[in-house]
Amino acid sequence: MPCDRVRAQLTAYLDGELDGERGTLVRGHLRGCEPCRQVASDEATLRDGLRALPAHDPPSSMWIGVQARLAAAEVAESKRPSWRRVISRWAAMMPSMPRLVAGGLVVAASVTVIWWKAQPADEAPRTVLTDNRPPKYGADGPKHVTPPSPVPSVPSGDDVTADLASEPARTTASYAAAVDELLVLARDARATWSDDRKVAFDGKVRALRATIADAAEGRPRQRATRTLIRYLEGAVIREDVSLASGGAR
Amino acid sequence: MTDLADTLPALPAPTLADPRPRVTSSLTDDVQLIAACRRGEARGMERLYHQYKRRVFGMAHRIVGVSDAEEVAQEVFVRVFRGLANFRGDSALSTWIYRLTVNAALSHLAKRGRRHEVGDDGLTDLPAPPTAERDSALAARIEAALEQLPAGYRAILVLHDVEGLSHEECAAILECRVGTCKSQLHKARARMRELLGSSIAERFERSAGGADAV
Repeated sequence: MPCDRVRAQLTAYLDGELDGERGTLVRGHLRGCEPCRQVASDEATLRDGLRALPAHDPPSSMWIGVQARLAAAEVAESKRPSWRRVISRWAAMMPSMPRLVAGGLVVAASVTVIWWKAQPADEAPRTVLTDNRPPKYGADGPKHVTPPSPVPSVPSGDDVTADLASEPARTTASYAAAVDELLVLARDARATWSDDRKVAFDGKVRALRATIADAAEGRPRQRATRTLIRYLEGAVIREDVSLASGGAR
Repeated sequence: MTDLADTLPALPAPTLADPRPRVTSSLTDDVQLIAACRRGEARGMERLYHQYKRRVFGMAHRIVGVSDAEEVAQEVFVRVFRGLANFRGDSALSTWIYRLTVNAALSHLAKRGRRHEVGDDGLTDLPAPPTAERDSALAARIEAALEQLPAGYRAILVLHDVEGLSHEECAAILECRVGTCKSQLHKARARMRELLGSSIAERFERSAGGADAV
């Protein structure tokens, strides 16, 4: 075995990661090659030296510093505008979906279908999104606000199958909660709106709710709900939506 | 007649890395600890802190240096406590905390402007150690060489060789493949050998067990 191949395997050899035959080949080469033996000896000395480095104890003040930073962060959090907290919470769940789907596409599809068929109770979030109640906001403003729907708890990390199966329901419930929270914010914001703007807003919300109700269950309905959420974000938070044209982004 | 064993040169012995006491905790312990922290229980938070403070501080110390280690470690624990609400358990709690530590340390270096890119191009720019330093103790020389190493190499050496984590754990923490992790470790050690100079074994007395004949 040539020297360059032996040296490329030295780290694995010294860490005991080469199986019997490959280890024997490296060992045999080292016995007859002084330069490679020198390199191996140096690396072993280095490795042993790294392992023997003394541990560094943290200063006793560190925990106090952590607590102070946590307190400062909580104060800063409490001063953030409520709409930012709503968006942060809503956005926090978004990255998990592609990872779960990519990680178990086949499993997710089959398990989800089985789960949906076996769980008629899944209709519960649907009623939130498809109800035909009159709009919450009349000309005089909101009459009542539905409290946010509780989001189902996340299963433990080891229970991937259950996690995948519960993802659609969690997503639907989270969307419904986001809509409700944004509508609460809209109630506060509309006090500054003109009558035309209120009428346009109510009409648009009504139309988007109808679209949600007409959408097929699952992803189409979630997409329609996201459209409503984006519209509410624009209208309530950025107030840059052209309400006259009714243009939801 | 000469005994064959007397004629064979002594070879460095392969050994498995396990230099530090492991942070041992069962899944149940972690779940209970996480639940307590999520509820904001002070005792739970303090327990988690004490369980991981040495590892977190030690990693930060060796990646960013002594002057910034406490700041980075504090930042890590703040991220841990604030991020536990969203921790999904996709990896072990320890892996997640070490990943936060490495990321915080590397980010800190990047902000500080001292981050070196991992790669052969960056290695050639590093100066060789002065001859006078080569006479110092091995541990001091290694610490000094570590500081000159590119940050990425430093991270893998600290995780695998200093902290004794497996390649699988290192790969999970660095979010790379196991093969990449092994390759980086090989390059990092090669760079360390360059920085320490040749014939390290002759100049420094080998630690017990390291120079045993096969």
